[in-house]
Amino acid sequence: MSTLIINNLYAEVEEKEILKGINLEIKGGETHAIMGPNGTGKSTLASVIMGHPKYKITKGEILLDGKNVLKMTVDERSRAGLFLGMQHPSEVPGVTNSDFIKTAVNARLEDGKSVSLFKFIRQLDHAVTDLKMDEDLPHRYLNEGFSGGEKKRNEILQMKMLNPKIAILDEIDSGLDVDALKIVGENVTKMKNDDLGLLLITHYQRLLDYIKADKVHVMMKGKIVKSGGLEIIKRIDTEGYDWIKKELGIEDARVIEEEEQKRFMLGSCATKDALGL
Amino acid sequence: MRSFELSPLKNKEIPSKIQELLTDDLLNYVIIKDGHIIKRELSENFSKIYIDSYENALPDKINVFLDTEFCNDYQDDAYEYNVENVNSGLLIHIPRNIRLEEVIHIFYIQENIDLVSNTRILLEENSELRYFEYLYNETSGSINFVSNSIVKENAHLSYSGISKFNEKSVINITRNNYVFRYGSSKYNIAEVNDGLTDSKTNIYLQEEYATATTKTVAITSKAQEASFTQLIEHNASDTEGFIENYGVSNDESALIFEGVGKINKNMKRSIARQSNKGIVLGNNARLDANPLLLIDEYDVEASHGASIGKIDEEQLYYLMSRGLTLRQSERLIISGFLSPVLRVLSTDTLKANFIQSVENKTQ
Repeated sequence: MSTLIINNLYAEVEEKEILKGINLEIKGGETHAIMGPNGTGKSTLASVIMGHPKYKITKGEILLDGKNVLKMTVDERSRAGLFLGMQHPSEVPGVTNSDFIKTAVNARLEDGKSVSLFKFIRQLDHAVTDLKMDEDLPHRYLNEGFSGGEKKRNEILQMKMLNPKIAILDEIDSGLDVDALKIVGENVTKMKNDDLGLLLITHYQRLLDYIKADKVHVMMKGKIVKSGGLEIIKRIDTEGYDWIKKELGIEDARVIEEEEQKRFMLGSCATKDALGL
Repeated sequence: MRSFELSPLKNKEIPSKIQELLTDDLLNYVIIKDGHIIKRELSENFSKIYIDSYENALPDKINVFLDTEFCNDYQDDAYEYNVENVNSGLLIHIPRNIRLEEVIHIFYIQENIDLVSNTRILLEENSELRYFEYLYNETSGSINFVSNSIVKENAHLSYSGISKFNEKSVINITRNNYVFRYGSSKYNIAEVNDGLTDSKTNIYLQEEYATATTKTVAITSKAQEASFTQLIEHNASDTEGFIENYGVSNDESALIFEGVGKINKNMKRSIARQSNKGIVLGNNARLDANPLLLIDEYDVEASHGASIGKIDEEQLYYLMSRGLTLRQSERLIISGFLSPVLRVLSTDTLKANFIQSVENKTQ
């Protein structure tokens, strides 16, 4: 059984502090849900745990089974058992899903060893069927041209194949219709076991109808401001977040402001340049 | 073209690096070294077509190739030098209605002479050919390689190739292609030379409904300089041309793509598209893409684009978040990026050989 401990974690992006002292402990077998309005730092927390290069940790620690996660590179974190189902997975043209997943599976084995092709294909086929995805999925390029729902299912597919110890699912429910949400929910629930610690990040209680959480946290202003059981979800469902804001005496829960509108400059056309026009 | 003398061949040995590629599943190949055919393994089906070196070509055959007005009109210094000093090459003639599904692989090897090669491919009406070339040398040398192909009415040419000349070579490659009514050409070329390279692919759509696609994958490394020009000229209405370039520049090399889609006056309803994609890998490397559309007609569709940059950070993060090391992730992204050419290679050994060349150049 694994344990992920986050102690007093502070992180910033472009010198703007987003996480302001997060404390959280997730054990194998537990399912935690982090809820909260937009822009309160939920996704930042997920990215920081996985090691996205954009974020800078200014204080605190993250420990996986006593090992210092912050000292590990992104790939080391993955091989140590962390998994992040991303909100916006990248598209990688030219790389097939199956090549990618095979490389990822092999990266977990000892040097020079590789998974038997037959076993791998069978396992992948099962996962594709479970998630009710297209049969040609393994041969399609990684996330390229996938619909929002397909991308999310593809994240769960990878989770199935990689068997993590601690899995974080970042807004896995956004962009999913009810049917797809049900499929994702069932598959994640099926994966639950005493060794897997789950952290679900979501705006909506809808996801938690399909994946039962043991503990619920609410994040605001870059902090966990409330923790408890399922009763919190029910109250958020009926009343929204205002009662928590009121309790805390804040009006704006956000820590990330809407990105300033980027200014675009139209470059000159290369043809004109070349012709000297 | 001038008649020419072949310099005698020193030996008939196949270089070991080429021998490795001649696996059991590589069917139908011809090896031509310094202008002499040294090995020829072709299935029964190829007896329907004519393929030989100038040395052995029958006089009446030679005329078929020499009387092709277009090829002789092309003006370019390197091309003129080629025509004057040719010392190697093949003549390939596909008669009417012959459709060959099997790929023919031609290995051009330069060893003891400066190679001035001129290959002519003629596809008669309603014929089809899948041609693959592997250009190779181990020592230093100057290379002037030309191929001219003519694709007549409703004929289809698939032309793929790997060019792999070494660091001490000076390389000049010109591939001309003329397509007639309903004909189509598909060019897929991987340029993994280490030497100074100037490569041009010129496609002329001569009659209505002719179509052509040309894809070039090029990787430059060390202090190499290389320029790749692709032209598709529309000389008839209702023609379609697609240009795609994929480049990776490593170390302190410089890579230039010039893509030109040219639609002449009155060539209505023609389509000219092109896209250029590049990854700048080396800190001091350069990669320039100049997509040009030269259009002298209103009723056309045309588009061009270029995106050049470093390997995408988000892609790297994504792959690494699944446990792939930085190096593995970079390799996967680059090989994916270059996949348009990888797909057309016929044997696993050839694919592995291409991937190895890519890895050597992207370290």
